[in-house]
Amino acid sequence: MSPATFQVLMALVDDERHGYSIMREATERSDGSVRLGPGTLYGTLKRLLESGLVEEGGERVDPAMGDERRRYYRITDLGMAVARAEARRLDRVVRAARRRKLIGPEPA
Amino acid sequence: MIARERPAELVFRALLRVYPAGFRADYEREMTQIFRDRRREEHGGGSGFWIEVLWDVARSAAAMHADAARAPRNVNNQPRKGTMRRMAILAVLVGLIEVLNASLEGRAGRMNGGDAYSFIGVALGVCAAILLIVAGVALFRRGWSAAGWARVAAIGCAALVVSIRVVQPWMSIFATLLGIGFPIALLLFLYLTKRDGSSMRTTA
Repeated sequence: MSPATFQVLMALVDDERHGYSIMREATERSDGSVRLGPGTLYGTLKRLLESGLVEEGGERVDPAMGDERRRYYRITDLGMAVARAEARRLDRVVRAARRRKLIGPEPA
Repeated sequence: MIARERPAELVFRALLRVYPAGFRADYEREMTQIFRDRRREEHGGGSGFWIEVLWDVARSAAAMHADAARAPRNVNNQPRKGTMRRMAILAVLVGLIEVLNASLEGRAGRMNGGDAYSFIGVALGVCAAILLIVAGVALFRRGWSAAGWARVAAIGCAALVVSIRVVQPWMSIFATLLGIGFPIALLLFLYLTKRDGSSMRTTA
C-alpha cells in the first residue's frame, strides 16, 4: 500500500471528510512529510472508491471553509479492516527496525 | 484578490486537461476547489507552490494514463453484447434460410422422382436449421451464458449438413457452404470472444 493511500485511509478513520480536509489531516499527521496534491489525492480516492475501501458521503457545506458545497468521503468497514492490517504490518516493520537498532527505542 | 486568483485558476484548469477525460469529468471541480483552498492558505503561493502543483499533475496524470492503458477495454463485456446479438440474429436468419432451402430441395427431389433419401435429406436439413435457430435465440436472450449450448448446436448443425450431403449428393453448393460454413464461423466467433474474455479476466 502506498504511503498516500494509507494516509488517506487514516484521515478517514475518525470521521468523514472532504478532499481538502483529508489533505490537511495527512500533512498534519505526518508532520509535513506527506503533502498530497490534488491529483495524487483524487487519484488515490478514485482507486479507493473503486476498491470499496471508501465511499462517498454526499455533498454539503463546510462552515469553516465558506459556502461552497464539498463532496465528503468516508471509510467503509472493508477500508477499516485494510487500514488495520496495514497498521499492524508497519508496526511489525518498526519493531524489527528497533531490534536491529536502525531506529531508537520506543519512547516511554 | 479575486482578480489575481482568476488567472492562476485558469492556468490550473488548463493543466488539468492532461488528465483522462473521465477523471476530469468526475473530479475537476473538487481539484479546482482544493487548488483555491491551498492558494488561499499559502497567501497566493510562490514558485515553490507552483513547482509542487506541476510535479503533482505530472506524476498523477502519468499514473492515471498508465492505469487507463492497463485497464481492460470491456470490463463488463458490455460492448460485446451488441456483437453477440448480431451474431445471434444472423444464426436465426441462416437457420430460416436453411429451412426454406431444405423444403425447396425436398420439393425438387420429389419432382425428380423423389425417394426416401429426399425425405431423409429434408428432415435432416430441417433439424440442422432448427438447431441453428434455437442457438441464435438462446444467444440473443441469454448472451454469453448460452455459448456452450450454441457451440454444441453449431457442431450438430455442421454434422447434419455433412450427413445430408452424403444422402443427397445433388445438394446445392450454396446450401452446403451455408450449412457447413456458417456453423464453423459461429464456432470461431464464440472461440475468439471467449479468448478475449479470458484474457481480460486475467488482466483484471
